[in-house]
Amino acid sequence: MFPPNPDFSITILSQTQLLKMVVELTRHITTLFNFSAPEAQKISLAIDEAVTNVIKHSYSNNSDQKITIEYFLAPGGVKIRIFYQGLPPEIIDEEVNIGKMIKKKKKGGLGVKLMKTIMDSVEYKTINGKNCCEMIKWQKTI
Amino acid sequence: MKNFQIRSKIVNGVAVLYLKGHLDAHQVARFEKEIVRLIRDSNFKIVINGQELNYITSAGMGIIMGYIDEVREKGGDIKLCSLGERVYETFDLVGFTEIYDFVTDEQVAIEKFSHVPSQS
Repeated sequence: MFPPNPDFSITILSQTQLLKMVVELTRHITTLFNFSAPEAQKISLAIDEAVTNVIKHSYSNNSDQKITIEYFLAPGGVKIRIFYQGLPPEIIDEEVNIGKMIKKKKKGGLGVKLMKTIMDSVEYKTINGKNCCEMIKWQKTI
Repeated sequence: MKNFQIRSKIVNGVAVLYLKGHLDAHQVARFEKEIVRLIRDSNFKIVINGQELNYITSAGMGIIMGYIDEVREKGGDIKLCSLGERVYETFDLVGFTEIYDFVTDEQVAIEKFSHVPSQS
């Protein structure tokens, strides 16, 4: 369950030039949420991939659409929601086969694999009529 | 300062690409343009030196994935060298480290091509 209100949220335009800002913001927030620097960097990468997917696939690179990113501090982790309109991304559940992708000369398809590898949970859903990518990362227990 | 910089030079018949900074979906077109230019000029032996690369996303890795088959078909390869720990880890997360040739040093990467016959 996600709490009703996020601890922090930001709404950006669907522009790839803003990705670096999102990465730096996410790194900063997850560090504040007690993630180590390497873990914070990886979570930032997963958010970068998710927002990039929205810009490229849901908004077809239209630069005047909105994307809202919400951060929720959870006991022992962080929960992140990315809200957007447009088309939901095409998520293929089958395991990514790099060898096959090389043979097909594919350039895309690695982003969701990265997101799923980094985060403990990645889920695409609709909430109150809006598309949402919901991700959770728990802190490692030593 | 620019977020991402790219330059290249030819060393002993091998094209070395130096990537610097933050390579994401916003910057990736410049990386692709450079790879395409090298291939168009029949440079199929390519080393990507990532010593000063501090961030890469799937957009950048996708370019390597998208062109490596063509390069290998023409007797070349794309080798990666001098990556920092976190950038290397990103490649490892998608399984690239098992498929591509990663070496610690640029000179070693260049010398590895001396065993590959050129088709250019």
